[in-house]
Amino acid sequence: MKKHLGTAALIVVFLAVFIPFASSSPDGLERVVETFGVEEHAPFWNGLMSDYAIAAIGDPYVSTLLAGVFGTCMVLLAGFLLGKAMMPKNLEVSE
Amino acid sequence: MHIPDGLITNDLSIAAAVGMWIIFIAFLAWSWKKAKATYSRSITALLAISSAFVFAAQMINFPIAFGTSGHLVGGTFLAVLLGPYAAMLSMTIVLLMQAFFFADGGILAFGMNAFNMAIIGGLSFFLIKLLTRGSAGNRRFIPSVFVASWLSVMAGALVAALEVSPSFAGGIMVTVPSMLFYHAIIGLGEGAITAVLISSIQRMQPAIMGGLTLLKEKTKL
Repeated sequence: MKKHLGTAALIVVFLAVFIPFASSSPDGLERVVETFGVEEHAPFWNGLMSDYAIAAIGDPYVSTLLAGVFGTCMVLLAGFLLGKAMMPKNLEVSE
Repeated sequence: MHIPDGLITNDLSIAAAVGMWIIFIAFLAWSWKKAKATYSRSITALLAISSAFVFAAQMINFPIAFGTSGHLVGGTFLAVLLGPYAAMLSMTIVLLMQAFFFADGGILAFGMNAFNMAIIGGLSFFLIKLLTRGSAGNRRFIPSVFVASWLSVMAGALVAALEVSPSFAGGIMVTVPSMLFYHAIIGLGEGAITAVLISSIQRMQPAIMGGLTLLKEKTKL
């Protein structure tokens, strides 16, 4: 368990190091949409932290990092629950 | 490659979105059934951590040429680590969190995005299996991982191009070539990152690769 928490912590370190270097250019699909001038309509769901930013936090680095850490934790939790649900009940938990 | 709901602009788009939801659900049910029957040891920790890593990695866009960026999708990475079925489920979780919390990828468009990245990503496992004749010890293993990663991005981009084409005046004649053009380059990043990650894991922690065990077994479709 300790080992797994260490690996999860490494993911946070990964985010903290790489977020400043992340490109803000449009991705492939966004570029295609821009090039051909398609008008997107407003989405009906804006998420809780649209564009990986927490509106209440002014500093963009901290805002994105916290959003990223939150998302990472949510995926960890959901992945754990999925794994538990997927495995046969009588299976011994390895590691 | 995440299609936003804003790109679902007309009746044909809506029909495509609903259709892809149905196709995705069918694949999801299949992968769930297969996953439950496939794993003989717990991959819970590996599944949770590798999914979380893929989520984090998808946040880091790398620049390609022409003022455009891309990021790792991670479908092939998960497929090699977890096997095809758990990879589809794992990537579905990542996409679900992105759509729900961060509005990255639409809700109506979720079936499209999940098919393009989660299902196609998981299916890329079978290409690696085919190319390596089912052995991770094969010297073609890492090149196969590269090729499968690149191709999974290209296939996802192609399907995405078809899916969003109703919103474009030029239809598939403009979406297919332009999506394939940018994603041919983005896919090189996908291939390189996936190959480096997998070869590192293979060297340092070969035991954790559940997908590799599956490679040797008869992974029936």
